[in-house]
Amino acid sequence: MTTLDAPAERTLTLRETGPATRGTRPDEVLVAVSPAFGDPFTQTIVGVPHAEVLRQLMAGIEEQGVGVRVVRVWNTADLAAIAHIAARLSGSGVSVGLLSRGTTMIHQKDLPRLSNLELFPQSPLLDAPVFRAIGSNAAQYAKGESPQPVPTRNDQMARPRWQAKAALLHLKEFECIRADAGPVELEVTIERAAG
Amino acid sequence: MSDRLVVGVDIGNSTTEACLALVGPGGAVTHLGTALTRTTGVKGTPASTEGALTAVRRVLADVGRRPDELDRVLLNEATPVISGLAMETITETVITESTMIGHNPATPGGEGLGVGVTVSVLDLPEHPVGEPAVVVVPAGWDFDDVAGALNDAVARGVEVVAAVLAGDDAVLVTNRLHTPVPVVDEVSAVEKVPLGMRAAVEVAAPGRTIRTLSNTYGIATVFDLDPDQTRQVSPVARALTGNRSAVVVRTPSGDVTDRRIPVGVLELRGETRTVKVDVDAGAEAIMAALARVQPLRDAHGEPGTHVGGMLAAVRDTMADTMADGSGEAPGDIAIRDVLAVDTFVPAEVRGGLAGEIALENAVGLAAMVRTSRSRMQAVAARVAAELATEATIGGVEGEMAVLGALTTPGVQVPVVVVDLGGGSTDAASLSADGVCTAVHVAGAGELVTRLVDSELALDDREVAEWVKRWPLAKVESFFHVRHEDGTVQFFDEPLPSHVFARVVVLTPDGPVPLATRRSLDAVRRVRREAKQRVFVVNTLRALRQVAPDGDLRRLDFVVLLGGSALDFEIPDLIADALAGFGVVCGTGNVLGDQGPRNAVASGLVAAYANGLGG
Repeated sequence: MTTLDAPAERTLTLRETGPATRGTRPDEVLVAVSPAFGDPFTQTIVGVPHAEVLRQLMAGIEEQGVGVRVVRVWNTADLAAIAHIAARLSGSGVSVGLLSRGTTMIHQKDLPRLSNLELFPQSPLLDAPVFRAIGSNAAQYAKGESPQPVPTRNDQMARPRWQAKAALLHLKEFECIRADAGPVELEVTIERAAG
Repeated sequence: MSDRLVVGVDIGNSTTEACLALVGPGGAVTHLGTALTRTTGVKGTPASTEGALTAVRRVLADVGRRPDELDRVLLNEATPVISGLAMETITETVITESTMIGHNPATPGGEGLGVGVTVSVLDLPEHPVGEPAVVVVPAGWDFDDVAGALNDAVARGVEVVAAVLAGDDAVLVTNRLHTPVPVVDEVSAVEKVPLGMRAAVEVAAPGRTIRTLSNTYGIATVFDLDPDQTRQVSPVARALTGNRSAVVVRTPSGDVTDRRIPVGVLELRGETRTVKVDVDAGAEAIMAALARVQPLRDAHGEPGTHVGGMLAAVRDTMADTMADGSGEAPGDIAIRDVLAVDTFVPAEVRGGLAGEIALENAVGLAAMVRTSRSRMQAVAARVAAELATEATIGGVEGEMAVLGALTTPGVQVPVVVVDLGGGSTDAASLSADGVCTAVHVAGAGELVTRLVDSELALDDREVAEWVKRWPLAKVESFFHVRHEDGTVQFFDEPLPSHVFARVVVLTPDGPVPLATRRSLDAVRRVRREAKQRVFVVNTLRALRQVAPDGDLRRLDFVVLLGGSALDFEIPDLIADALAGFGVVCGTGNVLGDQGPRNAVASGLVAAYANGLGG
């Protein structure tokens, strides 16, 4: 028996199933991941496994009774662009964009690209419960409810402490960009690792 | 003698208004302009001089005149009334022995009723097969693991009938169960749920409310209770009414009580008699007692009780604001009117397991004090010195308001003006033979703000003030909002992202989101009821005191004045209430273009001109 205090090792498999299409169901939230999410990166800047990030996000959405699709955006590593592309593909118009290092944003299709519904810019401060709350809020926006914004933590030291690593991670993510590829639909499998 | 340039200045509770005019030798008045500013300090005290000067300078600047051209500044004899507010909760809901959970989580899981024995998920593997289990899951458990544990138990032959979770996982767990059961989640103090006791968990379908656990006999059926025990659980059923999910645990002596907090006795001393009334009897009883002792000489709260503290606080505030070294002790301040209003305060239930909120009854008290002396003379002296001109007291506020109101097109004597202010509601009547009477009753705009603030649990006076002042809307997309009357308005530019999907107040500076989960209709109802309970009640109370023989039918013209008469619905609420009495009632339009503002300042100029002409 395991608890959140000692999360079980889970493996994340993301299988491409073809080009991402525009959704028609008003009860779905699109989760869009960046080019390097899951592979080659497997965890955020502070070591939250990508399997857990996606699992909690999707759980937050499912708990609200809303459907979820996951896509990968190949041609940019800019969070606002990733989230906005996904929002325009989402049946509800609401999306969650995710960078490999953990930076996250809730977006809506009618907003200007550089705006957002909720932005979580300090990736080192995002842990499993926050990802759950982000998923939950995104789903509530999709339902037309008024969730309280997820409390954003702020750490004055996060910037000096993590900026160098974040820059390196971003460079690496940047190298994975495929400029000529469109967004693709992903099939997500999260399994408990053997043992 | 040439024209004289005079300015009337009205120092009110919250705003100071000025009216500039040229008065000809025969009393002919030419209005030049008006100005408005916030009152500084308490009206009638030297601190309010600053605001008066600002208003005068502003109106002069507006029309391009210099202060040294002024012939005279006319000040009003401010109504010597100050008001204070206090609010006290009078009921309290207490749950003992953790008998129930009724917090209405947003997303419970499953559907139906499950009755069994509470067992911790840790002990589930050892749970005997023959006994239906209500599984209690502590914080920190992952939804996958919980679902796995429940499925394992079911596979072993245990009848799992329901689950109670600490985290927000109910739908997730239910979706992963082979046989779905009702699941209640977000029970923060789940460790306090007694284990090994019979318990019932009920979850209703979306949009429905529970039927069995909100019914006393439903609970009696589930737990096989005798009539005495049934009597005991009836408060539990009542507390769960209207919920979508609930848990009831049968403990030997658990109970839910709706306790009245002894708040104390309010002693109302009238001209001829003294009446004592229990504050926890509610607003209606207090107002009935007040009616019996009219006119009120003073009010006291029993020392050492809540109400004693309330009135002492009001007195202290007033003593502070009037403190000027004259040595008027708080004890010398007599409370001359009281308005009690029933309200409710959302408060966390004591002994609750999931942060349950109950709407507790509360009483709001507005109290009004008449000060024994006016200090306008001091204000006038300072104004005269600052502007190097003459400053005089031009008249008493009530009479001046009537004179100002008479400049409203379509109004004639006899007339009653009702000044809907911030701290008090004042009425003044002018009869056909020129007799003017004025009354003041406690409670006005500030009390409304306070009620809105506490009933919506906003905890923010500024936001409550906005809710009071401006209409609401629901932002349905970035390009359209639905107003409170149901009309839809579209926008070309997207609305700011922080208002998306929220109930907003449409302030002139743009929509402001409310931090509440309540629906637009609920907020609107709270706002309108607060206005009803304060302004409509007070207007009727004040009009009865000035009406001939207290008969509202004998009034002809009622003119509403003051800042709150600018409100988008208060005048309508009052007009509705007065419609049955055949009274002509409406918002004043001073000078034909000032609306309900500036009545007293204009009245001062008119009185001065009358003096010259007469």
